Amino acid sequence: MISVKNLHKSYGENEILKGIDNHVDAREVVVVIGPSGSGKSTFLRCLNGLEEVTSGEIEIAGMKLTDPKTNIHKLRQHVGMVFQQFNLFKNLNILENITIGPRKVKKMSVEDANKVARELLAKVGLTNKESSFPDQLSGGQQQRVAIARALAMQPDVMLFDEPTSALDPEMVGEVLQVMKDLAHEGMTMVVVTHEMGFAREVGHRVIFMDGGYIVEEGKPQDIFSNPQAERTRNFLAKVL
Amino acid sequence: MHVIWQNLPVILDGLRLTIQYAIVAIALMVIIGLIAALMRLSRFSVLRWISSAYVEIFRSTPLLVQLFFIVLGLPAILPVNEWFGQLMYPILAAAFTLSLNEGAYVTEIVRAGILGVDRGQKEAAASIGMNGIQTMIYIVLPQAFKRMIPPLVNQAAQTVKDTSLLAPVGIIELVYKGEIVIASTFESFKIWGLIAVLYFIIIFSVSKCASYLERRLQVDKR
Repeated sequence: MISVKNLHKSYGENEILKGIDNHVDAREVVVVIGPSGSGKSTFLRCLNGLEEVTSGEIEIAGMKLTDPKTNIHKLRQHVGMVFQQFNLFKNLNILENITIGPRKVKKMSVEDANKVARELLAKVGLTNKESSFPDQLSGGQQQRVAIARALAMQPDVMLFDEPTSALDPEMVGEVLQVMKDLAHEGMTMVVVTHEMGFAREVGHRVIFMDGGYIVEEGKPQDIFSNPQAERTRNFLAKVL
Repeated sequence: MHVIWQNLPVILDGLRLTIQYAIVAIALMVIIGLIAALMRLSRFSVLRWISSAYVEIFRSTPLLVQLFFIVLGLPAILPVNEWFGQLMYPILAAAFTLSLNEGAYVTEIVRAGILGVDRGQKEAAASIGMNGIQTMIYIVLPQAFKRMIPPLVNQAAQTVKDTSLLAPVGIIELVYKGEIVIASTFESFKIWGLIAVLYFIIIFSVSKCASYLERRLQVDKR
């Protein structure tokens, strides 16, 4: 589903990603952990072209992202993304937030788009909020809407960029629950997070990044109970 | 009071023209400002360059000089009177010059409004596959517009006042009519006072309507 070869990313002199190689299978849930500044968010943002790649190759959802001939807008329709700050469209209500993609990008009719959106709102448990505006909702509710908005495009892959980091502690659970349900339905997911519980429970594979490299990766139980690298051990000692 | 009542129809005729010029200029300045702002933010350097040159030229010279130059100066080197008609050219040129001048300020207002929209909004739009134009139309401009209302109302008030500069190039609006009336009545205090009051009424009601509109938008779309 995702294949990354020798990915480098620099901002001017500052090299953030120093050669990332990885492969994500369909239906796989990969959790990326690591200290701040390790490049994990940048890595995720490269996967749907929000960050321009400096060098290397990315293939995702059957399309070559790094090929200049690839239509990036087309590619992004197949790659959903959930942001740390939710980024719901402030000028649109909840229903419109979810339907705008299907309607304007996929040219779906309003009726069909509304139908899809209402099913998704039911799925994330927010049926009664469709005419609210984003800032009338709590952070947890906004993030669930953001997940529904991404799902409305029927993506092949979902990318999560620290989806619970901006939430009050009591709202983390409701968002993680939606993500767990999604994982159990077989969605291919790449999740950057500090939620080690989620990584352990839901992740099929954990990637530990530090200093722009993948330091170590493996099954959650192996990484958490028997980390091989010194840096992984130091990091886990601090967060667990 | 007698002088005012007697000359009120003439003065109101000038007021009508002032309002007409103001409406045309306000409509055009918004359209021009929007286009120039989008050009200014374009990825094509030629468009950016044209837009900056336009804004700088019109902001760095007085409106009165611009009006003299285009309304009275251009006919000396171009057969514009033949193209548009001797009577029509000054009317069109005056309205167009005023709109271009105000449009330069609106360009900056629109540009600041667009740049003020949170980057995350654009990223979210991109992430669901929207292209730049769709993102602009459905996400960025509606949000930018709300924060643009107060400075735009300011600029609209300025535009109403700036129509008074059309008198020196021969447009018979409110100020020009006032001068005509004063020439025959010598009542400069009363007539200029009346004209000031009329300007005040228009501009004050425009800004009241605008703050009402702004409150409504705040309630409806938070």
